This record gives sequence, C-alpha cells and structure tokens, in this order.
Amino acid sequence: MKNDFLNNWQSQLRKGLLPLCALYILEKKSCYGYELIQELKSVFGIDVAEGTLYPLLIRLMRDGQLTHKWVEQPSGIPRKYYSVSPPGKKTLKEMKSSLSLLASKVK
Amino acid sequence: MKMISFKEISAKRVYNSYMERCKKAVRTLPVRDQEECLMEVNSHIYEFLTDHGSEDEMKPLLDVLDRLGSPEETLKEIVASKKIDQATRTYNPKHLFQALVLNISNGVTYLILFLLYVLLICFPILAILKIIRPDQVGYFTSDKGTFSFGYISTPDHAKELLGYWFIPIMFAATVGIYLVIIFALRLLRKIKIKNNQHGSQTGL
Repeated sequence: MKNDFLNNWQSQLRKGLLPLCALYILEKKSCYGYELIQELKSVFGIDVAEGTLYPLLIRLMRDGQLTHKWVEQPSGIPRKYYSVSPPGKKTLKEMKSSLSLLASKVK
Repeated sequence: MKMISFKEISAKRVYNSYMERCKKAVRTLPVRDQEECLMEVNSHIYEFLTDHGSEDEMKPLLDVLDRLGSPEETLKEIVASKKIDQATRTYNPKHLFQALVLNISNGVTYLILFLLYVLLICFPILAILKIIRPDQVGYFTSDKGTFSFGYISTPDHAKELLGYWFIPIMFAATVGIYLVIIFALRLLRKIKIKNNQHGSQTGL
C-alpha cells in the first residue's frame, strides 16, 4: 500500500508534467478538448478534470504554444481542434530534454 | 450556436441553466469571444454525452457538468486573459478597469497597475476641485521647505506653485498614466510570450 506522501508526490508530478503530456499528444495529432482528456488518460494514465485542462489550453494558446481550428461536424456542433505551433514544438523539445536529463540523474 | 437537444425536460432545464451561467460569466467579453467560449463548453458537453450515451440523459449530463466545474470558476482565467487583450486593443477605460480588477490576483504588477488606475481617477477630480477651491488644491510649499500635492485643509502657511497650470498638468498626467498602464500590459504579455518561446516553460 502506497503511503500518503508518495501519493501526494505522484499527484504533484502528474500535475507538473501535464503541459508536457498535452503538448506531446497534440504534436502527434490535433485533438478537441474532450478527445485530449481521453488521450491523456489512455497514454499517460492521467485523469485530468476539465476545470484543469481548459485553463491550461488557454494559457498555452495565449503564450503562442498552440493554435486552434474550428471544424464543422454533421451534428451541427463544431469541434475546436488544438495543434502545437512551431514555437510549441520547440518548447516541447526542450521540455523533453529537461525531463530526460533529470531522469538520467536519478537512475 | 446550435444548442443540444434533450428528450428529458429536467435534463434540458439543467443544461439551459448551466449555459445561462456560462453566458453571464463571459458577458464582459467582446461578442465573438463570448460565442467562442460558449461554443467550446457546448461542444464539450455534447462530445461527453455522445460518448456516454444512455437512456438516462440526466446522469451523464450531471457528470459532465460536475467535471466542468462552476462556469464562474472555470471561465475566470479565459475572461481575465481576453479582457486584457480587449483593453489594450480598444484603449477603453471601462475594459481597462475590468481587466485590472480581474487580474488583480495574478501578481504584484497588476496590483501596482490597479493602484495607478485609482490615481488616474483622482487626477481629474483634483483638476475640477482646483476650480471650486483654488486656494486649497495644487502643489504647495511651506516655510519649512516641505512640499504637498493635492488637497490641503489649511493653506495659510503654504504657497501654491502652479496656479491654474495645475489643471492642464493634471489632465496631461491622467493621459500619461493611462498610456503607461496600457503599454505596461502590452509589455507584460510580450515578455511572457518571449520567455515561453525561449523554453523557460520546461515542466519540471
């Protein structure tokens, strides 16, 4: 059984890594908000609440890391697809390097 | 915007009530931004309901609204951010005031800019007071060599230095501070984007 400290640390780690995880998924393919939540769950095991994800997407958009496009659907309710912008790709690359460096130190 | 249709009247009422709260939360934004926010919330609810389709419409609806959280809280950040864009784009004092109030908790710089805005309101008031009470309003120096600025109750031992030049100076200062606030907000946004593009946001 995991102790509370470890649980708390893991939760903080996932929260800290969320921008990287979101950019990682969006670099592979453009996603709409709900789809991104599902992808984060299936790829990284992160169950992120909408109240956390959307403010993050807004911050990433505002900082020029993401772009978006509305795509019409047969239902008549369009989807907002997010993609990683060129500066976002650069940021993601540097984030990956930082994470690899840190991981290599604790091996 | 196409609204989601429900068979259950109670589900429709809950959905309408939530969307109304969203509308209220974003009402200070330009119409286009309001529509975009509402379209995204609507799209998210629709995708969740489609993915969790069941006979019972109320349960998945309550689940998704629970996950989205209160509109006032979830939409707070986007409203604060878009309000700054609107204020720096339009130079409108009303939007600037709203932008500063919404961002006051986002750092000491915004707090300083808000205090500057308060000063900005005081300056034209002082200019008007100068007309009503010319002896008590202005830039004073006393026999002891101290300086006072604004409204003083006992002008007997003080000498006013600016005279009626005080009025245009106050209006010029108002415009100057206003431009300082606008450009400071633009600069803050630019610095933030530049920092992030240089990879300061490294996650760990």
